[in-house]
Amino acid sequence: MEKLAEAIYGGLLSGSVLGLMALGLTLIWGSLRMLNLAHGSLYLVGGYVAWTLINWYDLPIWPAFVVGVVAAALVGLVLQITLINPILGKPGWDNASLIATVGASIALESIVLLIFGARVKQMPVALEGQFTLGTISKANQGLLIIVAALLSLFLLSAFLRRSRHGMAIRAVSQQTDAALLMGIPTRQIFLIVMVVSAALAGLAGVLLSSIFYLTPTAGFNPMIKALVVTIFGGLGSIKGTIWAAYIIGLLEAFLIVYMGSSWALPGLFLFMIVMLVIRPNGLFGLGEMQRL
Amino acid sequence: MTQEVGTLPLELGLEEKIQNRLHSAAGPWAKPNPLYLGITLVVALILPWLISQMNGGRFFLHLIILFFGWGMLVQCWNLIMGVSGIYSFGQVALFAVGGWTTAVLATHYGWNPWVSIWLAPITTVIASLIIGLPTLRLRGIYVVLLTLAFHELLRNFTTTGPKIISGGGYGLKTVPKLGFETWFGGGYDKILYYYVGLVFFVITTYAIWRVLHSPIGMAFRALRDSETYAISRGVDPFRFKLFLFGFSAFFTGLAGGFLTHYQGAISPSLFNFGILINLLAMIVLGGWGAFWGPIVGTGILTILPEVLRAAENYRNLSLGIALALIAVLAPQGLGPLISDWVKKAFRFFRKSQQQEAP
Repeated sequence: MEKLAEAIYGGLLSGSVLGLMALGLTLIWGSLRMLNLAHGSLYLVGGYVAWTLINWYDLPIWPAFVVGVVAAALVGLVLQITLINPILGKPGWDNASLIATVGASIALESIVLLIFGARVKQMPVALEGQFTLGTISKANQGLLIIVAALLSLFLLSAFLRRSRHGMAIRAVSQQTDAALLMGIPTRQIFLIVMVVSAALAGLAGVLLSSIFYLTPTAGFNPMIKALVVTIFGGLGSIKGTIWAAYIIGLLEAFLIVYMGSSWALPGLFLFMIVMLVIRPNGLFGLGEMQRL
Repeated sequence: MTQEVGTLPLELGLEEKIQNRLHSAAGPWAKPNPLYLGITLVVALILPWLISQMNGGRFFLHLIILFFGWGMLVQCWNLIMGVSGIYSFGQVALFAVGGWTTAVLATHYGWNPWVSIWLAPITTVIASLIIGLPTLRLRGIYVVLLTLAFHELLRNFTTTGPKIISGGGYGLKTVPKLGFETWFGGGYDKILYYYVGLVFFVITTYAIWRVLHSPIGMAFRALRDSETYAISRGVDPFRFKLFLFGFSAFFTGLAGGFLTHYQGAISPSLFNFGILINLLAMIVLGGWGAFWGPIVGTGILTILPEVLRAAENYRNLSLGIALALIAVLAPQGLGPLISDWVKKAFRFFRKSQQQEAP
């Protein structure tokens, strides 16, 4: 019983954070048709900026978190303007965007390594204390992460459904050309998508680095897991992605609790391989129209 | 038709340009130029003797041997990534399969390395078919993830797997070498490894050149550029892609076996993301999908970091920036750029000769 509760709690926790990461990836894939391999380094930017402000400049925790998220969004903006915009719509877009984002992620990671060194860092917790539920007692920080992630997921889906810009983003991701013909400034929308998704990655970095440690390569694992989530949920589908995040999060937690932590990543990958063989378009797959 | 072309007001030299285009496009009948080939081979045969006379020659030979090994891998990867447009990140995993096969056989079962090295490509081909069967039915981003998944699974297996494979998490440290250390009274091992590497490298390069300039190669380019059209002309994508996967896996496995026996060790650090990125950078830097691209790229990225030892700390930073810049500014890579310069230089040379002649 205790193990089960442990697994469910762990699953909700990592599912929430995975949801934040994966939603950014899926937004970018949906609108730009680009696999953003620099997503993990935006996670790093968020985490490290917040850590620096707290530890080097003695800023209180909450403002530091906000600045971390904003910094990640700014880096996303710079990436979009300097790297993505020049190659947008050119022939060989698939290759070029893949390479450009890989290059950006290596560059960002090595900048972090040069500034902070390879030693692990840990963010102080924002909420001290424990809460107990029956026989299980957990840190408040975990609860905070779940609540914060859920809140942002909720706000984001409201933004995508209700606001003008959100609707424009959805229109662009459904039919880019048609959206352009209807007078939606697609380039501006791409910029917004990139900033929003970078901010989400930064938020994940800020929230998660109080539980996991910050190292220059810390962004890779969350990104790979988020990729699994995006693909599992069917690329470009927002509802599918959120569902998939919790399913994958729970699966991972169950694997860790019942099989040991060395099984988490391989187990996920095996699961994904089987799933892709059975349903090549993901669980809620939208079906690429180009499939023959 | 030829007359019509002749009557068009073609600017000077354009006809020659079109002819050149036609020749390279008419791939199935292309033949290598025997003169250049002969010169290159003779230079390659003499080179190690000259280099070993140099100061620090052994180290330079070591770099060239590494260039041969990684060059084979990168060429094969380019065949999959660049030429046929499958975003497979499983090439290092295949390389590792080859390396581990021969390493385990030679270390724990006492096989002669000269025999076991030939089992490396065979098991690698089998592994590539296992990876290829589920992967090649998918496309684009799905392929990236699935092949990365195999990469990670293999990393996990070689770290925590049975002791004869993982060596307790540290890899196999005492793989027998090819035994050149004692030949001719010793001291010639690097030169001998150089020749073995050269033979493997030349065979690989020739095989890839042959495939690229054959109907099969044309089919691949057709599949990459317009899959729908290629399929409607009767090209079966799955069969061709599976063939290419197996073909490139053969030489990748051979490279894995060769480098493992050369270095006398293989460890799970082979799966580090940095190595994967470095190899990818070789393809991108040299020229994605071009025949000479990966060779040029491997050359640059094997030699340059050693020359710029002082800038070791900034290696990854500059690599990342270079990748991003190439993607934005020169999507074709440096290979075509360099070959353009060479051609221009030749043409300039020829022109100045013609002017002098009369």
